[in-house]
Amino acid sequence: MIDKELAAFLEEGIGIQIGTRNASLEPNGARVVAVRVEDNGTHIVAFVPERAMKLVAPDLEANGQAALVFARPPDERSCQVKGVFERMNAAAGADERFVRDQWRRWLERLTMIGLPLSTLERWDVWPCVAVRLRVTALFNQTPGPNAGAVL
Amino acid sequence: MTRLRSDASARQALGLEAMASCFQGLIPAALFTCSKDGTPNAAYLSHVDYVDSTHVALSFQFFNKSKRNIAENPQALVRLIDPDTSQGWRLKLRYVRSETEGPVFERMALRIEAIASYSGLKGIFKLLAADIYEVLAVEAVEDEAAMEVTTQRRSACVDPVFTMQALQDLSTRIHRADSLERLLDSILEGLEASFGFEHSMILVSTIEEGTYVTIASRGYPEMGVGAEARLGEGIIGMVAEARKPIRISGLIRQMLYALAVQKRAHEQGIVASQRIPLPGLAQPDSQLGIPLLVRGELVGVLCIESTHPYRFHEEDKTTIELLGSYLAIAIQNMQLQERSAADAAAQEGAAISQPAAKRAEPAAKAERELAYYAGEECILVDGEYLIRSMPAKILWRLLRLRTGEGRAEFTNRELRLDKSLKLPEWKDNLETRLLLLRRRLDQKCPDIRIVPRGRGRFGLELGCNVALVERP
Repeated sequence: MIDKELAAFLEEGIGIQIGTRNASLEPNGARVVAVRVEDNGTHIVAFVPERAMKLVAPDLEANGQAALVFARPPDERSCQVKGVFERMNAAAGADERFVRDQWRRWLERLTMIGLPLSTLERWDVWPCVAVRLRVTALFNQTPGPNAGAVL
Repeated sequence: MTRLRSDASARQALGLEAMASCFQGLIPAALFTCSKDGTPNAAYLSHVDYVDSTHVALSFQFFNKSKRNIAENPQALVRLIDPDTSQGWRLKLRYVRSETEGPVFERMALRIEAIASYSGLKGIFKLLAADIYEVLAVEAVEDEAAMEVTTQRRSACVDPVFTMQALQDLSTRIHRADSLERLLDSILEGLEASFGFEHSMILVSTIEEGTYVTIASRGYPEMGVGAEARLGEGIIGMVAEARKPIRISGLIRQMLYALAVQKRAHEQGIVASQRIPLPGLAQPDSQLGIPLLVRGELVGVLCIESTHPYRFHEEDKTTIELLGSYLAIAIQNMQLQERSAADAAAQEGAAISQPAAKRAEPAAKAERELAYYAGEECILVDGEYLIRSMPAKILWRLLRLRTGEGRAEFTNRELRLDKSLKLPEWKDNLETRLLLLRRRLDQKCPDIRIVPRGRGRFGLELGCNVALVERP
């Protein structure tokens, strides 16, 4: 279960990717622009740009297995959330501000490592698909000897 | 857009060569794998490197789930971003083998070790293997579209005509140089004027084996002559040790990554060594270090830096690597020429020991205390470090002759014959050492000057009273 401290970290505007796989165990992945932790940390909703969603939606519908990785420059804190797909739907208009704010905070972090905001201005942010996952496991992935430990 | 690798002719179509910027580690890559029981795994990755038109190498630094998954299921996906255009790319991969030696491993390991040495993590933050993957397909990511191509650098640096003109200009500057000092300065001036490299330095081994000292620099608030790097420390020490070029982009981010490792290592009781201040910018974000080699002999190291995270593109690296050999030959030739000239002048009897010439001197001179610590072979001026090792011994000898015998004119030849200095008989680097000494004095103690007087001769001018103190 995701506790409050971890939930705040996941939602603060950091780098996020979703990993899936197909029936042949071919891995797949896409960019996530924001997440929201729900139901006291038992579930997480990943907001994936519509065009990116085309890459991973068939996998999620077919087998439901998913992994979300989070990383925060400049301290490189990183973790992985494993989950099982529950449902997806077009993100509601009411979520747009929440998603854009989180993405903006991520871009601001990128400037801290020397990348100008303008670099990513053509990337899709909205509209998104909201992918709801049931959390099954959490792992520390901050680089170092302890990477991979269960949280 | 998908580029599939189905046969030999299609290999070229993958276009990995055109993705050189993606392989600089500026923006973290993401690696996706899957275990044999079907659980996907996602992780950020330190380095992805180009191997050839159909292969890439992924850095393996820590045992982790990705590594275990690959052992069970060799399929992987890597997502990369081009820092020049911001275009996202997906590379479908199949694991082939792990390399722990060879050119790919060495190139990746050197870069990681240089970063580690800045953080005191050498030996802890290191490459265990370069995992080689076959690239099965390359896809442009639709939702991560490239920005408009406005990269001004491409209009200049990529243009071969520009590069040729820049090289010609640099070559002209080098040919005009009539002394080692002028040559070194001309090289750095030319790198800025012709290529736009604003921060550069040349280091040579004039103090002791395994220590490289800055003898010329450009673009720094302080001249920085005399700043040292030991073998294996930072990019300069690593270039000197490996005798291979190293390019680091996004150094600040990679240092932060290393520091994250350091923090975790510290929590587990692994103690990192102290960070060592090295020559150069306080916070460089790109570095390019080139060994200056002549027939396998390391003449010095050229280091170029920038505060921009991705300053040195593939064409910059290639050009400067090519230039390295030429610069090394030019420097070595000038060193040999200066030595021959000094010897010839001595044989002609042009240089003789003379008492100090009477000069107009200021009425009230400042007084400086110069302390020589014999055990450490080091000189301090008014309590501040000036120089050490052989250049310190030379200066001390000159000062003793100046104050004891009143001599102000000297020859390189007599220093070579002076048994007390114990200069090596073969390749003593005397002219380079004198240049370093002269520049250190200019920088730290301009009251005391070494002034060239022609071939193989120089004067020691004192604009102050000196009190010489010898300590054990």
